[in-house]
Amino acid sequence: MASPGGQGAGALSTRGGSAARRMKWALELSLGNTRSRSERQGGQGDVIYPIGYSEKPVPDTSIQETDKNLVEKRCWDVALGPLKQIPMNLFIMYMSGNTISIFPIMMVCMMAWRPIQALMSMSATFKLLESSSQQWLQGLVYLIGNLLGSALAIYKCQSMGLLPTHSSDWLAFIEPPQRMEIMGGGMVL
Amino acid sequence: QAKAPAAMAKLILLCLNFIILSNTVEAVFEDQVGKFDWRQQYVGKVRFSHFDTHLQSSKKVLLATEKNVFAALNTRTGELFWRHVDRTGPEGNIDALLLHGQDAVLVIGNGRLLRSWEINVGGLNWEIVLDSGSFQSACLVGYQGTVKHVAVLKKASISLHYLSNGHQKWVENLPESETVDYQAVYSGGNGDVYALGVVPHSHITVVSYNVEDGEINKQMSVEAPWLSNIQASCAVIAKEMLACVDSSTASLYMLDLHVQSQMTQIPLQSLGLEVDPGFQPALVSTQPNPARPPLSEFFLQLGPEQHLLLQLNNGQIVVLRDFKPAILVSFATTGEKTVVAVMSPKNKTACSVNLFSAESGRRLLDTTLIFNMDPNGGKPEKLYVQTFLKKDDSVGYRVMVQTEDQTLTLIQQPGRVMWTREEALSDVVTMEMVDLPLTGTQAELEGEFGKKADGLMSMVLKRLSSQLILLQAWISHLWKLFYDARKPRSLVKNDVTIENLSRDEFNLQKMMIMVTASGKLFGIDSKTGSILWKHYLDNIPSNAAFKLMVQRTTAHFPHPPQCTLLIKDKDTGLATLHVFNPIFGKKSHITPPTLPQPILQSLILPLMDQDYAKVLLLIDDQYKVSAFPSTKNVLQQLQEMASSIFFYLVDSSQGRLCGYRLRTDLSTELIWEVIIPTEVQRIVSVKGKRPNEHVHSQGRVMGDRSVLYKYLNPNLLAVVTESTDLHQERSFIGILLIDGVTGRIFHEAVQRKARGPVHVVHSENWVVYEYWSTKSRRNEFSVIELYEGMELYNSSVFSSLDRPHAPQVLQQSYIFPSSISTMEATLTEKGITSRHLLIGLPSGGILSLPKMFLDPRRPEIVSEQSREENLIPYSPELLIRTEWFINYNQTVSRVRGIYTAPSGLESTCLVVAYGLDIYQTRVYPSKQFDVLKDDYDYMLISSVLFALFFATMISKRLAEVKLLNRAWR
Repeated sequence: MASPGGQGAGALSTRGGSAARRMKWALELSLGNTRSRSERQGGQGDVIYPIGYSEKPVPDTSIQETDKNLVEKRCWDVALGPLKQIPMNLFIMYMSGNTISIFPIMMVCMMAWRPIQALMSMSATFKLLESSSQQWLQGLVYLIGNLLGSALAIYKCQSMGLLPTHSSDWLAFIEPPQRMEIMGGGMVL
Repeated sequence: QAKAPAAMAKLILLCLNFIILSNTVEAVFEDQVGKFDWRQQYVGKVRFSHFDTHLQSSKKVLLATEKNVFAALNTRTGELFWRHVDRTGPEGNIDALLLHGQDAVLVIGNGRLLRSWEINVGGLNWEIVLDSGSFQSACLVGYQGTVKHVAVLKKASISLHYLSNGHQKWVENLPESETVDYQAVYSGGNGDVYALGVVPHSHITVVSYNVEDGEINKQMSVEAPWLSNIQASCAVIAKEMLACVDSSTASLYMLDLHVQSQMTQIPLQSLGLEVDPGFQPALVSTQPNPARPPLSEFFLQLGPEQHLLLQLNNGQIVVLRDFKPAILVSFATTGEKTVVAVMSPKNKTACSVNLFSAESGRRLLDTTLIFNMDPNGGKPEKLYVQTFLKKDDSVGYRVMVQTEDQTLTLIQQPGRVMWTREEALSDVVTMEMVDLPLTGTQAELEGEFGKKADGLMSMVLKRLSSQLILLQAWISHLWKLFYDARKPRSLVKNDVTIENLSRDEFNLQKMMIMVTASGKLFGIDSKTGSILWKHYLDNIPSNAAFKLMVQRTTAHFPHPPQCTLLIKDKDTGLATLHVFNPIFGKKSHITPPTLPQPILQSLILPLMDQDYAKVLLLIDDQYKVSAFPSTKNVLQQLQEMASSIFFYLVDSSQGRLCGYRLRTDLSTELIWEVIIPTEVQRIVSVKGKRPNEHVHSQGRVMGDRSVLYKYLNPNLLAVVTESTDLHQERSFIGILLIDGVTGRIFHEAVQRKARGPVHVVHSENWVVYEYWSTKSRRNEFSVIELYEGMELYNSSVFSSLDRPHAPQVLQQSYIFPSSISTMEATLTEKGITSRHLLIGLPSGGILSLPKMFLDPRRPEIVSEQSREENLIPYSPELLIRTEWFINYNQTVSRVRGIYTAPSGLESTCLVVAYGLDIYQTRVYPSKQFDVLKDDYDYMLISSVLFALFFATMISKRLAEVKLLNRAWR
């Protein structure tokens, strides 16, 4: 600001330099994007790959016999997932106790919600298991696991007293009985 | 979804837990004082009244009343300066009020006490106990120009006391007090005190005592065979002249107390006068200064409307002026001038008061004062005059008029009413609260739907017009708001008049209808306490019983609301009905039936006639029933319903409880009868449930989450008996729970070594009563609760005739640290809110005691289940916490009744306590769960909301910009 003249000329020159690097518009016929451009600027030179060429090696996707076991294993993992959670849930249940406060309620909500969510997205899970040979068995195990999980949640609700299973829970809905007789009177005035 | 109610219940329990733990605070905050509540203080019917005259500028008038109250009123505003409430009954009865300077001397309790009050601040100067003996008369005694003593005349003795400290100067026995009936005491300031006695129809006895030592100076008896009562027909005038008037001989008699002589007879005919036939003539004299003899002028009343001003001039009686017609006359003195004020009827609605000079009987100029009589009030009964000297030495005055309906009115010249006090309200007998009507516009809208449709076009027009009216009302409301906002806050007053009365949003403002013992009815706005209408029913017998019933509420718009007051003369048993509109106080055009037979009880049925008036049944002494209104429609309905209409009658004098059933021909049949032998115990009170009570919850949740169902029998009666033997070892009280339809006795409890008065509240499934335990010398509360068990017999209908199982009865008792005056339970719209007991204490406090503390299920040993149920462990003492007083420092003297009414808000119950004072407030037994608090910070909340909203907007915009920038990079 103090000497606009001299520095202005310098700025102009740098602007000119940057203008030389950053063009107003440019067309690149390669697949590269800005990143590849910066890589290029990083010193890889001006090597232009032909269209369709990728630097990374493409994995071999042909099915091999040994992978079959892996898929089975993976599918069993998915199917047994809910069952594996049950001991964990039992522990949480035991720890959170039967008092009604915000944390146990949150726990119970989560415990109840997760199996329900899983049951709702059953079809998606089946699609996952499609590749397995024991698809139906795995599906059944998965279902049972989730049902057990929700049963556990219901049991927890029950032990916390959140289920309307007692007559007292329906007390508020009892209408006052209708009066059959009209009665009045009092002390002789 | 099914989980929701249970979770809700748990959450509510949690909240309850929290409430209990966080110390239930009932008291109001400082800034809430007077916001929902008001108090009016009364004194009762005036017996004696004196204007404070020792200072020219004094603003006091002293009143001693029949309610045993001694008070000073501000003559400018009518407000109380101070008030002293003595005991009720003859023990606190004020026999005499003498005013001297700054001291007021009262004789109390038929001559039991002599008290002197300092009238400026109302402090007690001294009090002494007088010797026993029935009080006759008292007067101030002056000697040598100063007044230093007061003389008290009793049946057999006369005593003289110093005014300064009340010490007795001397006491003397009256001679021949067995035969002579001493009735008056008099002193003329010359050192003699005269006791005047009479042997009826024989002679007068005059005994003169020396002021200094009580020596008998003189004693004489004069023949007076015509005289029976000195106070009624005699007066002392001038210098020791006793003047008497007798109607049978139509003469005045004069007796000089100085000289032993005969009475001189002056026939009234010689004065050209005549006594009204059947009228007992009377004399009124005045003694402005007790140290000087009375004036020689006096009044002679010859008829109800004829008064004469007479003068004793050199032993001759001169008629100064004949006032006819004149209803009331009064002497008044200021400085050296004595005037007489005469009230004479002007026309039907007004009276005029004039001043006359006492010496000459001439009318004073410019002293006319007009007293407009209230058309809904009574006739003037007493006249009290306050005179003062104006700057030009002429006499100015104010009058205080007491009318038959116990209204006090202070009037200034030329007829400006300074204030009125409705002292009838000191004796409220019964009351009701009625909802206010909808506003005119609301009613207009209602009317639109009420009327029959007559074509599309007219309906549209009608709708448009009513919308226009609504718009107009809204604009005027806005304009009023705007207009008021400019005025300073203190000036904005919402004057409630009968025209702009309307129901508020939450139905918190209601009309209080109060029936007083004098027969005056009042309509009072419950929000402000202002009297909106009053109506005096004349010729009400003195011992009448009243029963007020609401026949039609304001809910049936085109039909006006209707209340019926049953007035029964206890002597003859005959009753009359007064039917009126509770909002305007006007007598209804419906003519009530004449009741030739004595009436025993009345019963209001939930049946309605075609005009939506509830049917009132009246039971006469032949046990026949008459209906009001008795249209064909009603009679038909009654015939259909007859087999399910029952009533019970309790005759305390015979110890009889009987139940009757209505027959179709409106006669009755006795279906049950219980006799309680009157030699052993007598029935004190019978309490049923209030018909407008709602019970929301049909049972109680136990700790194991099962339900204990309440026994909610709407026909249950609680009968309280007290033993006739009052010996403290043998006295007892009994309580009997009996079904009013079948006469079945469910429970009977006897509290030995206990005494009344028993206060009892019966509601829901519980009965609470309070009594005095003579064994432990303390007040005790006892609570009975009835439960049906763990299963309901029939949950849809309740019939007393079909309930085979007797209820389970639980009972518990507690010690209460104070005696109580009255008790009532709170009442809310739906019965969801927990209940409190409102207890009026003799100290003037009104205590709101949670029913939770009076619960027979309170365990002695705390268990997990009882803790789950939130039961408080049993402790025998009930504490009085100061924050439970709902009337903080607004003491309500002599509470006789508490009335509770539900409001439109479930949390709120309206309370009126009445006795000598009237106090109105609101209570929130479970706190205000349905309203935002008074101090709710709308500003903070809304500003936070707005700030958050703008912050969201700004940050959204910023985020967008940032994203865009990143996209460009």
